[in-house]
Amino acid sequence: MVTLGDYLFVSGLLFTLGFAGVLLRRNLIIIFMSLELMLNAANLSLVAFSRFRTNSLGQPNYDGQVFVFFIITVAAAEVAVGLAIIVALYRARRTTHVEDINSLKF
Amino acid sequence: MSYLELLRLAAPEAIVVLTAFVVLTIGLVTGRREAGDTPAATAGLGALVAALGLAIAAATIVRLPGHATLFHGMLVVSPLNSLFQVIVLVLAFFTVILARGERLLPNKGEYLAMILLATVGLMLLIGSEELLMIFIGLELTGLSLYVMTAFDKASQTSAEAGLKYFLFGSMASAFTLFGLSLIYGFTGTTSLAAIGPRLAEQALPPLLFVGIVMTLIGFLFKIAAAPFHLWAPDAYQGAPVSTAGFIASGSKVASFIVLGKILLIGFGPVSGSADWHGLIAGWTPILAVLSALSILIGNLVALVQKNVRRLLAYSAVAHGGYTLLGLIAGGRAGFSATLFYTTIYAVTLVGAFGVVGFVRRENGGDDLADFAGLRARSPLLAGCMAIFLLSLAGLPPLAGFFGKFYLFSTALRAGANHGLLWLVALALFGSLISLYYYLIVLKVIFLDENAQATPAVARYDFEMRADYLPKMTLLVLAGAVLLLGIIPGTLVARILASFG
Repeated sequence: MVTLGDYLFVSGLLFTLGFAGVLLRRNLIIIFMSLELMLNAANLSLVAFSRFRTNSLGQPNYDGQVFVFFIITVAAAEVAVGLAIIVALYRARRTTHVEDINSLKF
Repeated sequence: MSYLELLRLAAPEAIVVLTAFVVLTIGLVTGRREAGDTPAATAGLGALVAALGLAIAAATIVRLPGHATLFHGMLVVSPLNSLFQVIVLVLAFFTVILARGERLLPNKGEYLAMILLATVGLMLLIGSEELLMIFIGLELTGLSLYVMTAFDKASQTSAEAGLKYFLFGSMASAFTLFGLSLIYGFTGTTSLAAIGPRLAEQALPPLLFVGIVMTLIGFLFKIAAAPFHLWAPDAYQGAPVSTAGFIASGSKVASFIVLGKILLIGFGPVSGSADWHGLIAGWTPILAVLSALSILIGNLVALVQKNVRRLLAYSAVAHGGYTLLGLIAGGRAGFSATLFYTTIYAVTLVGAFGVVGFVRRENGGDDLADFAGLRARSPLLAGCMAIFLLSLAGLPPLAGFFGKFYLFSTALRAGANHGLLWLVALALFGSLISLYYYLIVLKVIFLDENAQATPAVARYDFEMRADYLPKMTLLVLAGAVLLLGIIPGTLVARILASFG
């Protein structure tokens, strides 16, 4: 039997992986994918909570599932904006590596 | 609950969205060129429509009923929310006017539409007391601001600033989202009003505390509190000037009001205490440490900046630290002090960025050296800048002085036997440091000579080329800063009354 704790563990693991990816990777596209992983970790925990927090009739708490639909939509918008910014940057600098993006500092 | 009712209560937001579409259409239909400027007529028409839409939306808010709640707090109409929605609309209005002066931006229609969409996001943030809607407002604001920051394709730094803002911002909102999911999971509700009682009735599970802290991270990022401030200097420096002004003003006001609501309504029962002798675990000690850190880092790093926009960004970090004092003090008095201070700060910064915009257009840069001899070239701009900077430093009789006085005295009175004295003393020390770097800017403006141009010709040039309307706006803003310093009671009374 899979419990709520298991789902939360996986969700926490996904979030940590995503966060580590954002911090450690040097390629913008991969950083970007890691960000999406962090959002999906939140989705997983929301759905798990929704399934396991049942009301007195045994029905799931649907708020969490509605939340997830909105997050999926927002994540799509975020992809559009993020990729557009990366493209704009690539046109100006011809690079997608974070080490090369250093004209603004201190 | 009928749809007609929904449409009536959400009319201000709907009007701003419609205006955004109209402005976008105007930009698309009339002359969108591959390179170069947007035609002047288009830019003028777009700005006119945008300003008109914002004014109509503000008028609609005034006519809303006093109190109403839709869908368990997804949309809440209350005097407080209405007041700050109007304030955000006014700030957006000034931003639209100042954006008019930015001649170098291509596709002005799209830029104005993004300002309006960001404004809708801010209005949703202010007008909602439900986690899902707050998240959506946060994202709508964030995504619009990322695009606006990266908008200037001619500039080398704009896209870079946009990317940094985007990466830090998305990471912060992912943290907030994960935190929200934990809070939802352990309380079983997404309505702020219902979360408070549930937190009070149970012992706090560790995961729930993690959720609260992660939620706070996203908002602390928005207000650029250290150590989540790393994006701010780059975004303020690289973005188009009007965008930087809007990020520093509108976005900050809305973030503070929603942060205050989440903390005081939602997380009220787990506040804890940051008193020097009576430390109690909760979110207050965390905020107190971050506030102290922001005041120190912001003021000390600002001392060595050579670029005025970067200097304003680091001073914004410090001001974020001061403003947190009110939330740490807590209660109605603390929250109203925070709201008053952030409003004054927003008005001042829009003006300061307006002046920076003029100088940048004239000299092509916004380093300290570009401000040299501004007094000779344009006494009006120099005078306005002096008012804005001295208000930021907190000198009487300007608005910043009263804002700081109100904030610090509230914090001092809050805890039992002056427990917050250590933080207030630190804040006073910080304002002392800040006076030094603001005065350096003023010294460059008023005393240094501009090496390049002969004053008479340069001044004539400057006065003629600068737009009439943005200049009047700066005068109005400077007047507002002066007036709010002399009679602060009107705004304070309004804020206090709106708590009802």
